[in-house]
Amino acid sequence: MLLRGSGLHAGATFSDAAVVDRGAESGVPWGGLLLAFAEAAVANAPDLAEQRQAVMNELGENAMIDAAAVIGIFQAVVKIADATGIPLEDPKAEISSNFREELGLNAYKEE
Amino acid sequence: MRRGLGVAMAIRKDLTEAHDRAWDRLGRAGTWLNSAEKVSIAEETRSALACIACANRKEALTPEANVGVHNSASDLHPDWVDVIHRITTDANRLTKRWFDRVVPEVLSTEKYVETIGIIAETIAVDRFHVALGLPLRNLPIPKPGEPSRESVASAREAGAWVPMVNPDDLSDADPAAAYAMYEGRGGANIHRALSLVPACVSGFFDLDDAMYLPDAMLRRFDIEPRAISHSQIELLAARVSALNRCLY
Repeated sequence: MLLRGSGLHAGATFSDAAVVDRGAESGVPWGGLLLAFAEAAVANAPDLAEQRQAVMNELGENAMIDAAAVIGIFQAVVKIADATGIPLEDPKAEISSNFREELGLNAYKEE
Repeated sequence: MRRGLGVAMAIRKDLTEAHDRAWDRLGRAGTWLNSAEKVSIAEETRSALACIACANRKEALTPEANVGVHNSASDLHPDWVDVIHRITTDANRLTKRWFDRVVPEVLSTEKYVETIGIIAETIAVDRFHVALGLPLRNLPIPKPGEPSRESVASAREAGAWVPMVNPDDLSDADPAAAYAMYEGRGGANIHRALSLVPACVSGFFDLDDAMYLPDAMLRRFDIEPRAISHSQIELLAARVSALNRCLY
């Protein structure tokens, strides 16, 4: 939802599909580069150093560090949400119902 | 300056300081856990990532599969180790039925919540270092001291597996830490999730403010306080959540 909000402010339409579909274009500047870094970091993949260097080369060191911080904290946030069983708040569920269905996010709870 | 893979990095000061505070908290007695237990939880959080039983369970069709004994790094009870390893490596397949088996049989609700808080802070700091190719921080040496055992009177069942505190329900019967945990926070369920142990909320979101964004900045799209934009931050956050198959 905040991704959409940031797009509205920027006068751009960012695609949520890139959140779940690696082949989709997000429309976010350097989005593909950042997603590749995130995926490599989450998996601690062999290409992590390469993806990190790519972010460094294109966006600079501070951006690489800030991206790493977001990647780190969100790997923790999800543990809190999953291990406490918190529900999605009703207003958020209502606002997000369309794109959650579109992106297949509702399937996560059924697995 | 931090050095990783032969390259020095200038990490912003507020971020390093937030990590320092997290490690200081980790080394001190908490609300329901002593410092040795807390550091052991952090050790187990790390060992889970190289645990063969955890890898086998993640591959199993059901998280209930018998996958053998965990690679344990501590003296914690094996059932507690199992809780830590599951949350660390297979959290999206935790169920209410599993929770009901664990709490209070293995851990009191308060200790379970504090355990999650320690796992989360350890993961946040460690995964940041992994992403940057930096060596992990050494875990702190446990400091002497007793848990405060400060309970929160206003905690209630509110749709989660654990009781939570609605900011509107706080009363004089609650400790100051319960009021402090929501300062500058919106009171969303992610803030309330650990609220049975207020120090866990304050601690985790102290890290969150530095690693993600303070709550007040979330919708201030006119201000970009980081070297990446709001949209880039939110794209990363959403993708990491999706990779972890987190519904929330």
